[in-house]
Amino acid sequence: MSDSSSNTGRKLAAALVLAGLAAVFYNLVSVTRPPPGELRTIKDYSPWSAASIAVAESLPVQDGGRVKPLATYAGFNMLAIFGSRSMTVAGNDGKAQTLNPTAWLLDTLFRPQFAIQHPTFRVDNSAVLEAVGVKPRGKRDRYSYAELEPGLEKLIELADGYESIDPKHRDALQQQILDLAYNVRDFQSLLGQFAFARSGVAIGSGDEPQRLNVSTVMDKAPRIRDDLAAARRDGKAGRGPAEYLYQETTQVAGLAMRGMNIFPPAEASDRSWQNSGQRIMGVLNGVTHSPGPAIQDIMALEQSVHALDTGDAAFVKEFTSLCNDLAQRAAARGEGRHLALEASYNRADWFFNAFLLFFVGALCAVAMWMLGTGRSGRILAGITLGWTLSGLVLCVIAIVERCLIMQRAPVGNLYDTIIFISAACVLLALIIEGITRRRFALGLAPILGTLLVFLSRRYEMGDPKDHLDPLVAVLASNFWLTIHVITITLGYAAGLLCALLSTLYILMRGLRLDRADGELRRALTLAVYGMVCLTLFLSLVGTVLGGIWANDSWGRFWGWDPKENGALLIVIWTLVILHARLGGFIKEWGLHLASVFTACVVVFSWWHVNFLGVGLHNYGFTSGKDVLWTFYQAMLGLMLFGGTAKWLESRK
Amino acid sequence: MEQANPPAATKPRISLAARLLAWLSGLGLATVLLLLIGLLTWLATLEQIDSGLYHTLRKYFDWRAWYIIPEIGGTTVLLPLPGGYWVCALLALNLTLGGLLRWRRDWQRVGVFIAHMGIIYLLVAGAVAHHFSQRGHMRIADGATSNTAEDYFEHVVEVAEIKDGKPDVIQVIGGQYLTDLTGSASRSVSLSKMPIKLEFSGWLRNAEPTPVDENTSHAGATACDGYYLMPKPDKVEAEANTPGCVVQVDLGEGGKPETFLLSSAALEPVTLRHGERIFTMVLRKRLWLMPFAVRLDKFTADFHPGTMKPSKFVSEITRIEDGRQAKAVIQMNEPMRYANLTFYQASYDQLGQGPTAKMASVLEVVSNPADKWPQYSLYVVAFGLLVHFVAKLAGFILARSRHNPHV
Repeated sequence: MSDSSSNTGRKLAAALVLAGLAAVFYNLVSVTRPPPGELRTIKDYSPWSAASIAVAESLPVQDGGRVKPLATYAGFNMLAIFGSRSMTVAGNDGKAQTLNPTAWLLDTLFRPQFAIQHPTFRVDNSAVLEAVGVKPRGKRDRYSYAELEPGLEKLIELADGYESIDPKHRDALQQQILDLAYNVRDFQSLLGQFAFARSGVAIGSGDEPQRLNVSTVMDKAPRIRDDLAAARRDGKAGRGPAEYLYQETTQVAGLAMRGMNIFPPAEASDRSWQNSGQRIMGVLNGVTHSPGPAIQDIMALEQSVHALDTGDAAFVKEFTSLCNDLAQRAAARGEGRHLALEASYNRADWFFNAFLLFFVGALCAVAMWMLGTGRSGRILAGITLGWTLSGLVLCVIAIVERCLIMQRAPVGNLYDTIIFISAACVLLALIIEGITRRRFALGLAPILGTLLVFLSRRYEMGDPKDHLDPLVAVLASNFWLTIHVITITLGYAAGLLCALLSTLYILMRGLRLDRADGELRRALTLAVYGMVCLTLFLSLVGTVLGGIWANDSWGRFWGWDPKENGALLIVIWTLVILHARLGGFIKEWGLHLASVFTACVVVFSWWHVNFLGVGLHNYGFTSGKDVLWTFYQAMLGLMLFGGTAKWLESRK
Repeated sequence: MEQANPPAATKPRISLAARLLAWLSGLGLATVLLLLIGLLTWLATLEQIDSGLYHTLRKYFDWRAWYIIPEIGGTTVLLPLPGGYWVCALLALNLTLGGLLRWRRDWQRVGVFIAHMGIIYLLVAGAVAHHFSQRGHMRIADGATSNTAEDYFEHVVEVAEIKDGKPDVIQVIGGQYLTDLTGSASRSVSLSKMPIKLEFSGWLRNAEPTPVDENTSHAGATACDGYYLMPKPDKVEAEANTPGCVVQVDLGEGGKPETFLLSSAALEPVTLRHGERIFTMVLRKRLWLMPFAVRLDKFTADFHPGTMKPSKFVSEITRIEDGRQAKAVIQMNEPMRYANLTFYQASYDQLGQGPTAKMASVLEVVSNPADKWPQYSLYVVAFGLLVHFVAKLAGFILARSRHNPHV
């Protein structure tokens, strides 16, 4: 094949890789960002001061079994409802203002008059709105609570009906209506959290009744209870002022009975924190042993809410006092020790920045491959290495910070596996580059990093919940988590990398981009052989370690659980490759074709078994299976292409 | 002058035994067997979704399964495959022969040789566990003592002679004498310590005692006291099956034998009278007598605050053996190993309702002679692979070409 046609092929391949990277970038941005729409102008809207946000983001909240900063709580709530951690609105001046999760939550908690106008609800199917009687603006758009309000009654009615249908039998529209109903419910519960502080308890009649602070009512709780008891004794229940106060207070407290557990309990043995509603009702019903601190808590919240009317400085002063008090009480219980670290982890958004670095590194890699071995190629190799290493460093920092926050080994759930595999694949590729010095692994490293960090973002979007969650009892063993889970996960990384190296081999040789460079082919083949061996070693050791762990926790070495079987399949497949190669049944082409199939086996073990709905490692999710089938088809298509190329080559 | 044709070269004749040995120890066979194990594992993973784990394992990996026809998602796949047990056995043979007889004993391959020995050890551990391990569970309420574990799957018939309101002598008919009695097969059993002859028939793996109803078809089923055993489809969780059978009881008093239905779903045992003597008969899961008793002193179930996610299950127990007492703690990932038995924290339960309700701990009890063998095999395999790959990597680095580094 002539050099000119080889160069044309290279350009074509580079264009294809660039197009693929652009598609990934666009997809991430388009999914992360809400659908395009007119910038929402909110009358009299003013942004929160940096001081308010700085105070709020470290406020401790107990949620999902652990104490976390408000920034994390806000981030996952916003991600679940809005579909992104960044929202843009405009004030009177028409200038776009970006709201981060903490600012969005502060609006929802303290300034509902603005929050209900935020375009908070992401609706990807206009049929959902048509079903509830709200006029949609387009197929996908974002809507405010105020815009959805006319359809809420119908939405709840439909959701009630669909909730009783088995999730497996719900159609897409039914599920989307249910999702919107859940989002509305969650938003309403946030809106109502501090409503008691704004409204107080109305007494008297007329257009402007007097308002009592709820903390004042709490202070009078013993007398209210006595009066209620006396009224019941005298048969006058339901008519006196005590009854009225009790019912009014119960009503406003009822709006704050779900979520936002920000008050640490006084008793060290009591592990459950309380929210405002529980704090109020505990005192009102006489359940709280020492009501004084609870009344103080509610009073401090009321002061923060009222201070907002005075101005930002007053709010910051009152709210800082409250937050410091709660943080000190949490620290005294030995909880929330890493709130500041976690808040800074949220701010840093390490993985998104790593994605950007890998992406630029991938672009440089394509240019590096295009330019060949000249001086400019060498310079680009250095630049590619720089971007890739920078991305890797960010990933490592993020993983280390997560370990410090969780106080456990880095891999404990599916999200952890993705980010860990991202870093491991990039590191392994750079090690291969260090050994081979042929620049194929150097180019693959940022591409793999881009794709895998992209996967982690997409996964987080699809499952918007806190992935720094505490572990179930059986996983609560740092020893086993460290040695078994990490070994298995590294095995996945090695398996994916050997498949990608073989993909490169097949494409280069099949499309004749390698100028029939025998040394390059040999280097790639040796690298793949080494990675197959490494995959076998890590998967085998990891699988047997898992068996030993299972023997200690469940009483059996092997339980034929789908996840265990998946790991075994990787071991068996790599053994098949090595034995077939040793026996001479497959040669260079065969090794690479078989190695590509390793990716299918790894993906089956890593992802697909989670969809089967059985076993002890079952995560119970059902969406996204189509992507897996597309992946299998792509891999099998590649194998078919490689087989055809080999056949054509052998005919010459 | 004519030149004589040179005699044709003749290959040395290889005996049939040598060829068989070469085939049995060959890499080709190893590759095919590994592929088969992979395929069987993959199919069994998919089939257990609908058929349940217990039945899938019996179908794919039991020693009695010589071949299998996969059935995925209710559809039969017309691909007969050999049974997994025998494929593993053949692989063990192949590894042994390949490792011991054919492997070249040069230092470069010593790592691979060690790893193969480790894998053989692992396969043997699997076979020993398959044939000789026993599993059951012990449910104990807070403060209670137990010395028996219940098997997960095996059902037996227990006949007890009752004296002073308590069982005095108990005789057990094992599951192996019952489970093959499907269709018209029957089996007679004489009890050595009781004047009772039993004839079992009509074994159903999952059945429910159902009132005979004009509107319900129960053709062919034996009815007794207005009930018959209605066959039910197997449960995906096989331990939830409630089997049943028909038993004819001859009390040897010259009277006509009586027929009863036995069902593990029955709430009361069958009561038999022989003169003044009283016997009860029940179909239940096999009880397994422990060599010591276990008293549950305290059970703790902790959840992460505000969630139903378990954080800790702990059983504080006292082991009672020949009057001697010893304290122990059993919790997740920390079993108690004693007297060739291992006790694991499996789950928990609540016995009763309301204020009198008690927490009960469920401990899994396992007897497995190969308990630690996989761990030892891992050390062997890991060491072997490490030796091999380090040697390979060192060779690769030394031999790598640094010329023309370009793509």
